[in-house]
Amino acid sequence: MIKNSHSWLFKAVFLGLVFAVSVLVIKPVGVSTQFSMIGGMIHNAVDSSIITEDTTNKHGYSSSNAYYDKSGGSLAKSIKNPLNFAMVFLLAIPLGGFMAWFMDPQKKKKAQEEEQRCAGVIRSFYEKYYIREFLGGFIFLFGARLADGCTSGHMMSGIMQGSISGFVFAACAFLTAIPVALAFKKLGWGV
Amino acid sequence: MMDLFIGLVTGALFGAALYCAGVACPAKMRKTLRLEDNEIFKIMLFALGLSSALLYVFNLVGILEWSHLSVKTMHLGVIVGGLIFGVGFGMVGSCPGTAAAALGTNIYKQAIVIILGGIAGALAFSLMYGSIANTGIFDMLNYGKLTLFYISYDFPSILDISYVGLLVMGLLLMAAGWFIPCKKEV
Repeated sequence: MIKNSHSWLFKAVFLGLVFAVSVLVIKPVGVSTQFSMIGGMIHNAVDSSIITEDTTNKHGYSSSNAYYDKSGGSLAKSIKNPLNFAMVFLLAIPLGGFMAWFMDPQKKKKAQEEEQRCAGVIRSFYEKYYIREFLGGFIFLFGARLADGCTSGHMMSGIMQGSISGFVFAACAFLTAIPVALAFKKLGWGV
Repeated sequence: MMDLFIGLVTGALFGAALYCAGVACPAKMRKTLRLEDNEIFKIMLFALGLSSALLYVFNLVGILEWSHLSVKTMHLGVIVGGLIFGVGFGMVGSCPGTAAAALGTNIYKQAIVIILGGIAGALAFSLMYGSIANTGIFDMLNYGKLTLFYISYDFPSILDISYVGLLVMGLLLMAAGWFIPCKKEV
């Protein structure tokens, strides 16, 4: 079905304004670093000896873990002091998502569609326990950390500033995402 | 304190915008990645173009702080990481930001599992970082914080063109978003 309307335009303008205003008031949007912060907080709770105060390091902390210690202990500092801009930004995202969802006049229709979709899927062990979701999340975050950014940081914030790493990341991500998405449907692993 | 407030407002706006754009719905995102529905591509191209064009305007009227710009380093990790990211992205139809936005909606259960997977993935990366860095992946194909246009003295650029380049690129992206026919399942 081909439908031509301009409802997409309002959505695009809203999103574009958010990207641009973020740069204007503070910095470009970015989400994946905070996952490393949360992972690090769990790590630090299990083994509190990994991060130590160190005034000689740029950010006042150093770590036996090379990643937390990177860039003058920047991540080590965030793990020890998680109440910062990046973390509040991350926590506010579901809040905004909730407000938009709550005000969406089509939310009932969308929920029904989602139920129908799930009803069509055989409730295998894999579907029931969200194995795909867990593995997918694991893989994309690992990849995002290796690339030092995700869809937000590289694709959106990167490309809007004309950053080469943003273009390269986007090309590489779609190079695998499209065949994988097609293969999952073909193999009957859920739509 | 002001930073936290700005984080709250921009984060909430970002989450709302992601939900409105439809990207917070993994099923729709997977459809998009299977090229069955291209509304999200139109939205993203136009949004990206608009934000680039706005950066030009902000700079023109002198309200853009160059220190707010942040460009990431280009190295082999971006390529390998991008390819790995795509596998997870294609599987689940979600990414870190959209999973967070989905947490506030009716599909919060999927979102929780995606986020837990993400935290585990991030932690695994942190633990392996030392050995990954030792392979030299971050030094190979390292072009620094390279940009297409000259936007700040902090970043090397390929072209000598300044913000007007961002304007042209922005207009082209907006045109691409505008003219791609909307293929949408209804």
